Amino acid sequence: MAIEGAELIKAAAFLGAGLAMGLGAIGPGVGEGMVGAKACEAIGKNPEEAGLLTRTMLVGQAVSESTGIYSLVVALLLLFVV
Amino acid sequence: MEDLGKIHQLIVNLSGYEMTFNLDILVLSWIVIIGLLVFGYFASRNRQLVPGAVQTIGETFVFQFYSLTEDALGERLARKYGPLIIALFMFLLMCNWLGVFPHLGEPTSDLNTTLAMGIMGFVIAHYVGIREKGIKAYLKGYCEPIFFMIPLNIIGELSKVISISFRLFGNIMGGDIIVLVVTYLTFSLVLPPFLTAFFFLFIGAIQAFVFTMLTLVYIAVQVH
Amino acid sequence: MSIEIEAWVKLAAFAGAGFSMGLGAIGAAVGEGYAAAKANAAISEKPDSSGDIVKMMLVGQAIAETAAIFALVIAVLLLFAGGGAVSIITASALMGAGLSMGLGAIGSGVGAGLPAGQACAGLARQPELSRNFTTTMLIGAAVSQTPAIFAMVIAFMLMFINFAGGSLHMVAALFGAGLCMGFGAIGSGVGSGFPAGEACAGLARQPAMGGQLTTNMLIGAAVSQTPAIFAMVVAFMLMFMNFSNLPLHPASAALLGAGLATGLAAIGSGVGSGLAAGAGCEGWARNPLTTGNVLVIMLVGQAVSQTPSIFGLLISFVLMFKSYPATEVFLASTAVLSAGLCMGLGGIGSGVGNGMTAQSAVSWVARNVEQEGVLMRTMLVGQAVSQSTAIYAMVIALALIFLV
Repeated sequence: MAIEGAELIKAAAFLGAGLAMGLGAIGPGVGEGMVGAKACEAIGKNPEEAGLLTRTMLVGQAVSESTGIYSLVVALLLLFVV
Repeated sequence: MEDLGKIHQLIVNLSGYEMTFNLDILVLSWIVIIGLLVFGYFASRNRQLVPGAVQTIGETFVFQFYSLTEDALGERLARKYGPLIIALFMFLLMCNWLGVFPHLGEPTSDLNTTLAMGIMGFVIAHYVGIREKGIKAYLKGYCEPIFFMIPLNIIGELSKVISISFRLFGNIMGGDIIVLVVTYLTFSLVLPPFLTAFFFLFIGAIQAFVFTMLTLVYIAVQVH
Repeated sequence: MSIEIEAWVKLAAFAGAGFSMGLGAIGAAVGEGYAAAKANAAISEKPDSSGDIVKMMLVGQAIAETAAIFALVIAVLLLFAGGGAVSIITASALMGAGLSMGLGAIGSGVGAGLPAGQACAGLARQPELSRNFTTTMLIGAAVSQTPAIFAMVIAFMLMFINFAGGSLHMVAALFGAGLCMGFGAIGSGVGSGFPAGEACAGLARQPAMGGQLTTNMLIGAAVSQTPAIFAMVVAFMLMFMNFSNLPLHPASAALLGAGLATGLAAIGSGVGSGLAAGAGCEGWARNPLTTGNVLVIMLVGQAVSQTPSIFGLLISFVLMFKSYPATEVFLASTAVLSAGLCMGLGGIGSGVGNGMTAQSAVSWVARNVEQEGVLMRTMLVGQAVSQSTAIYAMVIALALIFLV
C-alpha cells in the first residue's frame, strides 16, 4: 500500500474534519446545556417570566452554538473543498 | 439481521433524472394519514357537551397543543398556525408508534420523511417571519451582529433543518436497530417487548413532542 | 528489525497489563480521596462520632477500591497467564482486554466514591442512622460497580476465548471491542455514582424515605447504565460477528471506528443521565409529596440525554454493516476511522450538557411542582437545541462514510 503525497494530504484532511467536528462539538454541547440548566432554574424561581426566559435561553444557546457551526463549516470545507 | 437495509423501491425515469420512491414508506405514511382522518371523523362526529372516549382524546390533543401555540405565538397567530402544530404532532406520534404493529415500520425511520417535515417547518417559519416583520426587518436579522456574519447566519439557519430532521431520524432508526439486534442476540426471549415499549412508545412520544416544539420555537423566533 | 509474532503477543500482554492497572487506579484513587475528604469535613463537624465516621469511610473506600482490584486481577492475569495461541489476533485481544478493564474501572472508581463520601457527611448529621447509611452506601456502591463488571466480562472474554483462527479483521475488531467497552463504562460508572451519592445525602435529610430513596436510586442508576449496555452490545458484536467476507482494508478501520463511536459517545450520555438521576434522588428527599412528578421528569430527562449515545450506536452499526468495495487506498480507511472518532467525540459534550439541563429541571420540579409543565417544556427545548452539535457530528460522520 504505497502512499502518495496528495493522498496523504486528503487523508489528513478527513482526519482533521472528523477531529474538528468531534472536538468542536464538546464545548457548545456542555455550554448550551448550562444555559438550559440556568433557564430551568430561573423559571422555577420566577415562573411569570417563562416566555421571556425561554426566548433568552434560545438566543443564548444560538450564540454559544456558533462555535459548533464554525466547526461544522471547517469540517465541510476540509471534506469537500481542500 | 438480514432485514437491515432491505427496501422496496420504485425507480421512475424522468427524462434523464432517476426519481426513487421508497414504496414501503409511502404506504406506511398513507396508513398514518388515513388512520388520522378516520380518527378525526369519529372524534368530531356528533360532538357532545359530555364527550365520549374518542372525542376526549381529540379534545386533549387540540387543547394542549393549542395552548402551547398560544403561549409561544400569541392569540392571533395561534388561530392560524395552531391547527398546523396539532396536526404535526399527531402525525409524528402516529408515525413513531406505527412500528409497534407487526409487519409495519415507522415512516420516520426514513430520513426523507423527517427531512420533508423539517423543510416544511423551515419554509413556514421563514414565510411567517417575512409576513409578520416585513422583508426589510427579516433581512436585517441576518446582518446581526455585523454584516459579514451573513454567510454564517445563513448556515446557522440551514443547520436547524439538519438538526431537527436528523434528531428524529436518528432516534427512531437507532431504536429500531437496538430492538432488532437485542432480539437477535437474546433469541427473542423476555427483553424485546420491554425494549419495544421503551423505544417505540416512550422515545417515540418524546421525540414527536420535541420535533413539534422545535418547529413552534423556530416559528416564534422568526416572529419576535 | 523484524519482531516475531511471539514477541508481539508478549508485548501486547505486558502493555495491556500496564494500561489496565495504570488507568484502572485513577478512578478508585479519586473516589477514595473524595470519601476521605468528606469524612474529614464530617469529623470536624461532629468530633464525637469520629469513630463511626472513620469506620464508614474505611468500608466505603474498600468498596470503591473494588474496581481497581478488578484491574489488578486482569493485569496479573495478563502478566502471567497471558498468551494463548501465537497470533497477531491474540496480541490485539490482550491489548484490548487491558484497555477495556483499565478504562472501564475509571468511572466506577469515581462513582463508588460518591456514596461513600456522602454517607460519611450524612453520618455527621444523623449519627444514630449508621446502619441505614451502611446499607444504602453498600447498595449504591455495588450498583456503581456494574459498568466495571461489564468491562471485566469483556476483558475475560478477550483473554480466554481463542479468536486466533479468525480472519485478520479480528485484529481491529477485538481492539475496537476493548476500547468500546472501556470508554463506554466510564460515563455510566461516574453517572451511577451521582444517584447513589444523593440517595445517601437524602437519607440524612429524610430518614423515613430510606426505602423509597433506594428504589429511586436503583431506577436512576439502571437507566444511567444504558449507554454502557450499548457499548457492551457493540463489543459483543465486534467480537462474535463474522466479518471475513468484507475486504480487509477499509473494513478494519471501520470496525475500530465503530468501537470508538459507541464507546466515546457513551461517556457523555452516561454522565448526563447520572446527573439527572442524582437530582431525582435529591428531589425525592427534599419533597416526598412530589415523587411521582420528579420520577417522570427524571426519566424523560435521562431518555433525552441518551440521544447522543443512540447516535453513536447508529454510526457504529452503519460502520459495521456497510459493504465496502475492496480498496488498497489509504484514504478510505482514514475516512471511516475519523467518522467513528468524530461521532464519538462529538457526542460527549451534548450528553453532559443535556444531563445538566435535566438535573436543573428535575431539582426545580421538586421545589416548585406547579410549574412542572413549563419546566418540562423548557427542558426538552433546551436539550434539543444543545443536541444540535452532536447532530452536526453525526452529519459529518455520515458524510465521511458515504460521500467521500
